[in-house]
Amino acid sequence: MVEDQHTHDEVLESALDTPMDAESQALSEALRSSFGIVKLVMVLLIAVFFGSGFFTVGPQEQAMIIRLGNPVGGHRALLGPGLHWSLPYPIDEHIKVPITAIQKVTSTVGWYATTPEQEMAGTEPPVYGNQPINPLVDGYVLTADRNIIHARATLTYHISDPVGYVFNFVSASNSVQNALDNALLSAGSTFNVDDILTRNVTGFKEAVLRRATELLAKENMGIEVDDCQVRSTRPRQLKDAFESVLKALDTRGKTLNNARNYENQTVSRASADAQSLTNSAESDRVRMVNEITSQAQRFNELLPKYRENPNLFVQQRLSETMGRVLTNVQDKIFLTESTDGKPKELRLMLNREKPKPAAETKP
Amino acid sequence: MKKNPLTLTIGLLLIFIVGLLLFVYQVRTSEVVVVTRFGKPDRSEVKPGPYLRFPWPIENVHRFDQRVQNFEDKFTEGTTRDGFTLLSSVYVGWRIVDPKVFYPNFAASSEPIMAAEQLLDGRLSQAKASIAGKHLLTDFLSSQGEGNKFVDIENEILAAVQSELRTNSYGLKIEFLGIKRLGLPESVTQSVFERMQSERKLLADKLQWDGESEAQKIRSEADRRAADIIANASGEAVRIQGLGEAEAAKSLAVFQQNPDLAAFIFRLSALEGSLNQRSILIFDQNTPPFDILRGASTNLLHK
Repeated sequence: MVEDQHTHDEVLESALDTPMDAESQALSEALRSSFGIVKLVMVLLIAVFFGSGFFTVGPQEQAMIIRLGNPVGGHRALLGPGLHWSLPYPIDEHIKVPITAIQKVTSTVGWYATTPEQEMAGTEPPVYGNQPINPLVDGYVLTADRNIIHARATLTYHISDPVGYVFNFVSASNSVQNALDNALLSAGSTFNVDDILTRNVTGFKEAVLRRATELLAKENMGIEVDDCQVRSTRPRQLKDAFESVLKALDTRGKTLNNARNYENQTVSRASADAQSLTNSAESDRVRMVNEITSQAQRFNELLPKYRENPNLFVQQRLSETMGRVLTNVQDKIFLTESTDGKPKELRLMLNREKPKPAAETKP
Repeated sequence: MKKNPLTLTIGLLLIFIVGLLLFVYQVRTSEVVVVTRFGKPDRSEVKPGPYLRFPWPIENVHRFDQRVQNFEDKFTEGTTRDGFTLLSSVYVGWRIVDPKVFYPNFAASSEPIMAAEQLLDGRLSQAKASIAGKHLLTDFLSSQGEGNKFVDIENEILAAVQSELRTNSYGLKIEFLGIKRLGLPESVTQSVFERMQSERKLLADKLQWDGESEAQKIRSEADRRAADIIANASGEAVRIQGLGEAEAAKSLAVFQQNPDLAAFIFRLSALEGSLNQRSILIFDQNTPPFDILRGASTNLLHK
């Protein structure tokens, strides 16, 4: 179309050079009016040419201008949403890239196939017994102890070098995803199942993150990793088996708690008993010492009286004490001497329930 | 009508623009270009910038994306050196480095990139199989300390494919390679599940027994500590008692003055102490003061 215009232009110029007569005047009139139209078209074409440099950027994308093959603006080359203008091709070109501020990729290997509905509800697709895993349907990760588990990593990153991100990779986010898948797999291959699931969850996560960061740096992706989340779970087929371990763990905890309770109780009871033992020993000691002391005192008082007349003193004290004792005694049994002068025999039945050698009183 | 300078300028500008469009093309940073003259590859441009060309149909410009392409090969089976079947797939990032070599190799296809990836797929499968055959299963799967060679294996596959690509030049280069998926044949997963199940059972049992024996240990330890405490306290009680006795012994000197009287007093107080509550006393007439009933005290009358 532009070429057509070009040739018209030459025709017009040659026409204007010829001398005028009535006929040619009419012709020149006609030519002039058509020349006006052609001028208008030319101006329009120029306007279209330069106007083609306008473009808009949508909210979910950014754009870059490429001048003579090189991106304009280096590391701050990204143009945000809005209207922009670049020089027309072949000087400038613009390309649009679907980039948001925060990028997020999720690993595609390692998790069983779910539907979005199941994902939302947090339910697992049903399985029967030890149903084998079809590797083409459900993904999984093999662990260092050659077990099967499911794991899923989500990586959040931002683009630190948009030029590299856009101009070095056909699909940079796919490359990130591949690196993440690889990181998940290689980390899984060095961890045992229990470490991944319970014992060293953080360690596993860090291993994934470390490997992913390493790969992304090596591949010059021009991105910076912000965060990495790893979720892992046992195969659905082994739900019961894994739960039984959890239950055993729980029972173990309870058993240990009971034992610790027992420990606390026993030790504190023993301490209390020990305290009362020493306390009573202490009070016994005090009582004994007091008693002896008071008896010694009494002895000292009595000694002069005894020395005056030992026999009388003894008789007197004895009778006095007997008298006091007898008033306190509940039952008193008095045996008279038998006529033949031999002592009488007295039989007592004590504690019928528990037979013991019957006590015999002898005079 | 005179020549209008404005018209002239516009005309020249248009000629310039048309010339620009016909004779100049741009190579982006992300592209490489092969220019063919009458269908024959004439030159290639790898550096970005504007270049001159003859217009169609003399010269033709073929552009190729020179950015890193992602390619993932098929999930194929391989056998390890120790006879385990392992499914694997790898991803590669590859790019066109020499368009002049690349173009004739894949120009026949309408999708040269896909044609190249088909070629890669075959090469990768071969390399994977041969490298897997050199390694044990434990090289793929084992903890860090036990000779995990995951990364080494990747590097070996990469080296194998790269040397293959070097000998038969295709104008492309693999930038990086990694294992994307690892798996076991479907039938094997079932036996893995069975093994895992018995491992779980073992673990659960072990936990239970461990818990019980641990609890038993705690209990017996507690009993021992309690016994220790009581024994210590008993010792302490005995010591206190001894202390008391030692203290009491000091008073013995007092009783030494007249042991007979002392014995008498002790016996009296013992008697009194033992008979003070709810006791039954049986005695005969020899017991003083009841001997008086037998007439012992008549001595007094005889005196």
